[in-house]
Amino acid sequence: MGNKYKSVFDIIGPVMIGPSSSHTAGAARIGKVGFQLFNGQITKLKVRYFESFAKTHRGHGTDFATVAGVLGFEPDDVRCPQAIQIAEKMGIDIQFIEDSHPSPINHPNSAELTLENETKKISLMGCSIGGGTIEIRAFTIKNQQFFPKGGLPILVLEANPINQDKIQNQIKKTTSIISQNESELTPNEFIYEYDLTKNLAETELKQLRLLTHNLIYLK
Amino acid sequence: MYKSIAELVSTANKENKLISELMIDQEMTQSGETRAVIIEKMSTNLEVMKQAIERGSNGEGVTSSTGLTGGDAVLLRKYREKGQSLSGDANLEAMQYAIATNEVNASMGLICATPTAGSSGTLPGVIFMIQKRLNLSHEKMIQALFTSSAFGMIVANNAMIAGATGGCQAEVGSASAMAAAAAVEITGGTPEQCAEAFAMGLSNLLGLVCDPVAGLVEIPCIKRNVIGAVNALTAADMALAGLSNKVPADEVIMAMKDIGERMPSALRETGVGGLASTPTGQAIKMKIFGETI
Repeated sequence: MGNKYKSVFDIIGPVMIGPSSSHTAGAARIGKVGFQLFNGQITKLKVRYFESFAKTHRGHGTDFATVAGVLGFEPDDVRCPQAIQIAEKMGIDIQFIEDSHPSPINHPNSAELTLENETKKISLMGCSIGGGTIEIRAFTIKNQQFFPKGGLPILVLEANPINQDKIQNQIKKTTSIISQNESELTPNEFIYEYDLTKNLAETELKQLRLLTHNLIYLK
Repeated sequence: MYKSIAELVSTANKENKLISELMIDQEMTQSGETRAVIIEKMSTNLEVMKQAIERGSNGEGVTSSTGLTGGDAVLLRKYREKGQSLSGDANLEAMQYAIATNEVNASMGLICATPTAGSSGTLPGVIFMIQKRLNLSHEKMIQALFTSSAFGMIVANNAMIAGATGGCQAEVGSASAMAAAAAVEITGGTPEQCAEAFAMGLSNLLGLVCDPVAGLVEIPCIKRNVIGAVNALTAADMALAGLSNKVPADEVIMAMKDIGERMPSALRETGVGGLASTPTGQAIKMKIFGETI
């Protein structure tokens, strides 16, 4: 079940603003993961591109697409091409860096995003593997580093370890866990990260939210 | 999930189902959604394709933000009206639709990736032309999209569909092969013929590099969708006539992967080699971005 592409709509889709599924739609989706992981108003965004992303980001609209995602826009949002101006009006300081090193996550279409404000900071490394499908191969949240297998969906949640069995059973009602990682914040508070084989239904997510105060579902 | 085209074809035969039906079943299992929801979502995607074709073809068409491309679908439409084309109006119509879609894509308009944005004109070019000629129903068009996604998903999972990892053969090559398979199913071909059309379609575009001028999805990407569409039609016709690729579809996918992996980075969507490195390609890059490679 290690398939990178799971849905017919990964192949016939996404519906998106052009010009590139990898460099525009995929970049927007990587940005959207940043939006979800940060979950708040940012003041600073740093985007570091590697390999093909570094060489062609300007021509492919990768800059506006990444920013659009960070603002929470979907790849088919007509505001995407104006995302940089919108973000600047919101007072967000944006920096793009073309890194000449090979991608640390070993994919030609890779980007590292750092989002911050006065009180918190997150970062992630994503790659756009083709046709708008993305993988998240590393992220840091609350100073804890995670290295997921890559493919979405990924579930990140904070919970008391005594609830872990309940959480896993709830997840396994509709999907399977490919791998999982955990990190201790306090003895009563862990961050769990799960790589899943298929989507969690909305009803399952609702049940899971009863067991945790912080749940981020990346799909 | 289906691991190979051979498995897809044998399941279709065993269960006496169309490949498109197998794909709808798989999507229901995978997403947990109802059939109606899945079909409705696909209808939305089909409508986006139709609107892109119209936007690119009607009136003065569209122009990209760089001004490098646009208006070619309109030129083709006007040329068709004269009725003196060399390659026949079916080809011309598919070409017009393919270009129209990719011009809308280059102008940052709304398109549906099939399987990618750079190759988004190939499949619509083929199926909307067939729809007009054979008066296909909306249901048949939806069917075509599911058939093509069945083949596309196997390519995507077993090889690649990104120009940055496998060159244009992975994008327009895959799109063309997917379209060929879909064309065969909606015109009454067998699952084996779908696989043969796919195999011939992809075989004939193996080795195609991704060398976009100035890194833009414009030159040569837009017109590469013309070869994708026309190649799909010829592959579908060959399969319907009973021709075989001899090398099975799954092995062609492996060959595509092998070629993609051997392809130098300069020819994989870096805007460095091929047409991008020509004097004209570099001059265009200089004009737009103010720098050389």
